[in-house]
Amino acid sequence: MHDWKPEIRRRLAEAKVAPAREEEIVEELAQHLEDHYQELRAGGANEPEAYAATLAEMQDHELLVRELRRTAVPPPVIPGTGRTSMIADIGQDARYGMRMLARNPGFAAVAVLTLALSIGATTAIFSVVYGVLLRPLPYPKPEQIISVAERAADGHPMNFTDPNFDDLRASNHSLVALAEYDVNGVSTVVDNTGPARVGVAFVSQDFFRAMGVGPVLGRGFSPDEMHEGAAPAALVSYGYWRERLGAARDLSRFKLKMGEYVFSVVGVLPPGYSFPAGTALWFPRELLEHLPSRTAHNWHVLGRVRDGVTLAQARSDLSVIARRLKQQFGDDIDMTDVDATPLRERLTGDVRPALLILLGAVGFLLLVGCANVANLELARAAARERELAVRAALGADRGRLVRQFLTESLLLSLAGGVLGVVAARWGVSGLIALAPPNLPRLTNVSVNLPVLFFALAVSILVASGLGVLTALRATSTDPQRALAEDSGGHAVSPSSQRLGRILVASQLAITLMLLTGAGLLGRSLLHVLSIDPGFRTVGIMTIELELPASGGTGYPSCCSASPAGRAQAAGFVDKLFERLHTIPGVQEVGGSSDLPLAGDLSNGTFLLLDRQSSITTLDDFERLMHAVPTGEADYDVASEGFFTALGIPLLRGRLFDAHDTADAPHVAVINESLARATWPNQDPVGKTIEFGNMDGDVRLLTVVGVVGDVRDRSLERPPEPTVYVNYRQRLRPGGDFTVVMRASVPPASMLSAVRKIVRELDPDAVPHLRAFEQVFSASLETRRFNLMLIGVFAGAALLLAAVGIYGVMAYWVARRRREIGVRMALGAVPGDVLRLVLGHSSWTIAAGLLLGLAGSLALTRTMKSLLFDVSAADPVTFAGVALLLAGVALLACYIPARRAMKVDPMVALRYE
Amino acid sequence: MIDRELKKGSAELLILSLLEARPRHGYDLSKLIEQRSEGALHFHVASLYPLLYRLEERGWIRGRWVEKAGQRRRRYYRLTTRGRVVLAAQRRGWRTFVEAINRVAGVEHA
Repeated sequence: MHDWKPEIRRRLAEAKVAPAREEEIVEELAQHLEDHYQELRAGGANEPEAYAATLAEMQDHELLVRELRRTAVPPPVIPGTGRTSMIADIGQDARYGMRMLARNPGFAAVAVLTLALSIGATTAIFSVVYGVLLRPLPYPKPEQIISVAERAADGHPMNFTDPNFDDLRASNHSLVALAEYDVNGVSTVVDNTGPARVGVAFVSQDFFRAMGVGPVLGRGFSPDEMHEGAAPAALVSYGYWRERLGAARDLSRFKLKMGEYVFSVVGVLPPGYSFPAGTALWFPRELLEHLPSRTAHNWHVLGRVRDGVTLAQARSDLSVIARRLKQQFGDDIDMTDVDATPLRERLTGDVRPALLILLGAVGFLLLVGCANVANLELARAAARERELAVRAALGADRGRLVRQFLTESLLLSLAGGVLGVVAARWGVSGLIALAPPNLPRLTNVSVNLPVLFFALAVSILVASGLGVLTALRATSTDPQRALAEDSGGHAVSPSSQRLGRILVASQLAITLMLLTGAGLLGRSLLHVLSIDPGFRTVGIMTIELELPASGGTGYPSCCSASPAGRAQAAGFVDKLFERLHTIPGVQEVGGSSDLPLAGDLSNGTFLLLDRQSSITTLDDFERLMHAVPTGEADYDVASEGFFTALGIPLLRGRLFDAHDTADAPHVAVINESLARATWPNQDPVGKTIEFGNMDGDVRLLTVVGVVGDVRDRSLERPPEPTVYVNYRQRLRPGGDFTVVMRASVPPASMLSAVRKIVRELDPDAVPHLRAFEQVFSASLETRRFNLMLIGVFAGAALLLAAVGIYGVMAYWVARRRREIGVRMALGAVPGDVLRLVLGHSSWTIAAGLLLGLAGSLALTRTMKSLLFDVSAADPVTFAGVALLLAGVALLACYIPARRAMKVDPMVALRYE
Repeated sequence: MIDRELKKGSAELLILSLLEARPRHGYDLSKLIEQRSEGALHFHVASLYPLLYRLEERGWIRGRWVEKAGQRRRRYYRLTTRGRVVLAAQRRGWRTFVEAINRVAGVEHA
């Protein structure tokens, strides 16, 4: 008699089962071995033989160890055999699925990673779409807040004029509040801490009522603060109060100086409130003058709809009033109607198409990723056909098997979804960092609860799609055939292959659409970059600052600058130019009230007047507007150095010079477009125009020179007719002014010298220094951003599609080894094999390309607004991307094809 | 030769069948399988016991130590009520499966 226990214990040690349990197992197995040993002995075996044979029973003890280790995990149940509840079935399915996946870690890893990337990218883009487009505004009953704009005869929206606003506000019955406000005001404000550039907004009396917010400290504007000439009062943002006012409870000791106004701080708005975007200080709009003109479009308008009134009702109420006004005032009014849209839509309307296109593109990427996983699953399902057949034979019904597949897909895609959300968090921070500055509401973008729900929904959707597809495919196989085929070594059905090829063709089609989108955007960017903007950007430094104010504010109260104020501002600029010239390396210095690509020039109507008919007041201007010929032009105050520094060529006449003093005849330089539009086939030099409505100075302007056209608003927009006036004569005190400097040294090396000079001349100035190239490239950021994202999606899709077609072809080749072997044995040369393989795949590729081209034609039309100088059906792009995709796909097929060519006929034939 | 995987799939059925009539211990089961299959099937200790433990855990069979006079104690397994239900289901399934095999195999040999 042997003691088998030590042998058994030694082998079981790794299993680490509970000691009591181990003792039982050891005892049971020892008994078994002893029985076996005794029997062998009784049968005539000698002791060593019997001993060896008995121990052989313990071979494969790893299996035992593994099983024992697993006893904690409930055992595999062949689905469909037990009479258990549905819930228990699902639990079983999940556990079984988990083990099936664990058994095939390569498949699981590739599938989960593919899904994680696709779901992650989709979730990241959705985060942006949700935060920017969908998330409700953070104000009470945000859906009631509407943005109202005047509509011109051609349908374009315009800002409001004061009288139109007043009439609308007084006569409507559908709004509780209607208010004027301005946007994008940035001004230099001096407070107790010193000067700073901050966002400021003038808002009319019902503004905060419409927004539904009120001060958390202090009070709102009182009626005696809301008229021209009142004591200036300001509300401050919570952030401004904390950072610059030290969160003091007593607001009375703070005075804010802006231009020549000194504001008292009367209240603090709630944390997080900052509308119009970026505003830190709000002032009563009523401080500024009220213009009687019904064509001076200066104000944005928003309102709040009454409880119980729909947007449509409000719209028609306002519209009726607007049309009545049009009838009443005829030619003196250019508003034909009004538009009312939810404020949220108004804020995001510009970026909506691009964001939706990005969401669509990333959705396509998701589809391509899913197709890859589906193909993997199909291959695996083929390998599992026997397992399924046995299960079906053992009585598992088809529904149960489908459920099993669904469960497995769900496990995969939930794992992918979780990883995807992690990836999306990175993606979102990346997107925020890269996002162009014009993307509104960016601070709202985060991976929040709605985004998580979205990710979950996408995961479940993906799981259902994948699960149903593979399950139906796999369970439609006849168990008999599956089992029979096994003996022949082919465990995959032709229809499964067909489905795989359909998937690959769809992948290629979708990828082609993405590539086309990326290609069109890329060509648009190239076209934009190849545009000659009309000015030089390299080696130019820009200094944006606010001119010292005296005799006027920095605010659009036009027409009120005193001659002394103008002279002082011009003197400041002269001194600044002079000092900047002394910096070593500086070659040209100039400036203008607006920098190309960086701001918005004001524009207006000028009169063509000759010297005899000059006017003395703006009322004369109004009167003459319908009596004499007029023109439309942008209006810019510039110095001669502005043209030379930026390399804007002088085509005719002269630029400004020092003789053009404030008292000398006022002069203008015009651009080529204006010359052509206003004086075709004539020499414009010496002609006179009246443009006093721009700055209140009604002296005639004599054209002294013509310069080249400049793309001022953006590279994409053709040059506008422009009038440049001389800074010595027409500078607006307190206005924005940008100095441009061309230097032979890098802009960065001059920063401290420039800052020092500006500070010395105006201690309150807060200059903003940039290289002009920065301004230039910032103007392309949106285009680059869209291109980069769609490009990345297209690239990822291309990679996935290549992997997809490679997988399918590799599988096809592996299954045809025998056939290929036979062919080669019968005399086929490698070239024939290559043709066979590529011929087989070329149908799939061709189908994919055709489908993709058709889809692209249908879809690229939606992205017209993002294109520049490229047709949405640009044949070059279409042909290019189709060739690229075909090339990549053929390359992906070539690898398995080469493997096929190397098949040794003998080996292949013996293979089975 | 019986395929390993097939064997594994059918092992449960074999054990449940053998326990249908009366409780048996592990060695007894392995002997019976070998004898009745005329040596075509043989379960090592390392594959038989994990199976028994699994079936026990699933509640289809139940093991109990039994001491008989003059012998060391052995662990006997009996079929539970649930085990009987499973056995019936598996028998049905197996029959279908085998018939399927036979039909296919029959065609091939005809």
